[in-house]
Amino acid sequence: MSILTVENLSKSYGRIQALKNVSFSVPEGTVFGILGPNGSGKTTTLGTITDILKPTSGSYKLFGEPTSAASRRKIGTLLETPNFYHYLSGVKNLEIASEIKQHGKEDIDHVLEMVDLTKRKNSKFSTYSLGMKQRLAIASCLLGSPSVLIFDEPTNGLDPVGIAEIRELMKKLYREGKTIIMASHLLDEVEKVCTDVAILKKGELIVSGKVNEILSNEDMVEVAAKDHTKLVQVLNEMPGKSRIIDEHNVVKVFFAVGKADLSAVHSYCFNNGVVLNHLTLKKQSLEARFFELTNN
Amino acid sequence: MLHLLKIEWLKVKDYKAFWIFIILYLFAILGINYIGYYINEVTVESMPASQVLLGTPYAFPKVWQTVGFMSSWLLYFPGILFIMLLTNEFNFKTHRQNIIDGWTRKDFVTVKFVFALLFSLAATIFNFLVALLFGMITTGSHFSFAGIENIGYVFIQTVAYITFAMFLAILFRKSGAAIAVFFLYGLIFEWLITLLINIKFELSPVGYFLPLQVTDVMLPIPFGDKVIYKGAPEVWIMVLASVVYIGGYYFFALKKFTTEDL
Repeated sequence: MSILTVENLSKSYGRIQALKNVSFSVPEGTVFGILGPNGSGKTTTLGTITDILKPTSGSYKLFGEPTSAASRRKIGTLLETPNFYHYLSGVKNLEIASEIKQHGKEDIDHVLEMVDLTKRKNSKFSTYSLGMKQRLAIASCLLGSPSVLIFDEPTNGLDPVGIAEIRELMKKLYREGKTIIMASHLLDEVEKVCTDVAILKKGELIVSGKVNEILSNEDMVEVAAKDHTKLVQVLNEMPGKSRIIDEHNVVKVFFAVGKADLSAVHSYCFNNGVVLNHLTLKKQSLEARFFELTNN
Repeated sequence: MLHLLKIEWLKVKDYKAFWIFIILYLFAILGINYIGYYINEVTVESMPASQVLLGTPYAFPKVWQTVGFMSSWLLYFPGILFIMLLTNEFNFKTHRQNIIDGWTRKDFVTVKFVFALLFSLAATIFNFLVALLFGMITTGSHFSFAGIENIGYVFIQTVAYITFAMFLAILFRKSGAAIAVFFLYGLIFEWLITLLINIKFELSPVGYFLPLQVTDVMLPIPFGDKVIYKGAPEVWIMVLASVVYIGGYYFFALKKFTTEDL
């Protein structure tokens, strides 16, 4: 079942088109990353789904139905920044959130413990550091243990330890069967945490699908030999490869996922009179892939 | 609605600035009326003849109107308070978070207006008590409910000022802009426009139907006779016009808040 379906969503701010006919769906039980550089439309997408922004055209469904206040109460959402009453303590802020979500107060201590804010729960929100604010926002999302969570840049403002903790928390939530929709401009974060991804660029959906298919859809073998020219010549004729890139001192040979076989490459070269002095299996760097996807 | 109000209550319950504002406001109501009372006493004492002109503003039954009139000068206080409550939400982006967490946009606007109604009710009760107090301590005054409708006007006027302020807050979203416009319009421009319409262009009583003026006319200056609002329409017409304004602010706010990006 799809938790969220977005169909032909477009959003303009005057002349600027922030989203152009974006469609994707989020399967249940996945960690779905919305990946894109700054200004690509990630927050606009999530803002629309949560009824903060009005789409210019297109539609979206949560739990198979048009969204409503009741469906929003069933998801925990952190959008853009932690939004709380500055003059209230963390715990008082969570009381307001849980009242709006129509849950009791019994969850509050538990979620504060989960994000390690128990000691500061009675301090005013305005005295919190950026990281603490972010953690309070995540705690608020967890109130009532919703089955779907939306996190917009969840590790914003956190220190490395905090980042690792939140990523671990997301993995834990995923193992508990929750669906997590997460926007991020950090490729590395998406790769580490997400199972599925949609990549946005300037408001357009470039691609969406399983992370391991999209972000590493090719295996790469790097080889080198003394006789570089011959090596390139031989590899060019090699069956089974998808393409090669000649990088002067090394050659990169690409194969479909799971099809790269180092010994086959080695024996093929040897049988064709080239002795390799370098041979390694490398998946394509994610960053390179990301740039490739977003720059074309 | 009760549940929405409970949440609204949680927002202000521990908000110090809110309570300080309210305490100052209540003391100001007491204070401004004491000033009126004291000046009246002193004037009459030193010039007994002035009583003919001034009447007995702090004795029953006139006291209901006098307190209403005096307190009406302080209505900018709760106006600013509600501008603050609304622009706080915009600044903290909690207006977004409330919706994200599961309120409808209509819930957000409606509960603020209902909260304003309740606040006005409380302020009206306080005005009633203040009027009662001054009526009691005025020598030669005997308790009377005559003129109690003025306390009803206090309620309408308070609601009208606060909802007008809220309308400005939702329109401008910035407290500075909303407060500046609220003051300048209420204290200067509305009077100016009323004068121009009613006197310069001789279109009286059209000028009395401006948003704040319409409620000011209900509670005219109690010292002496009606001199300021010459040719004002009957009170029930002004009451009706005020209610139309208040409804208008609500529907405008609702329209703006439910159709625009937050």
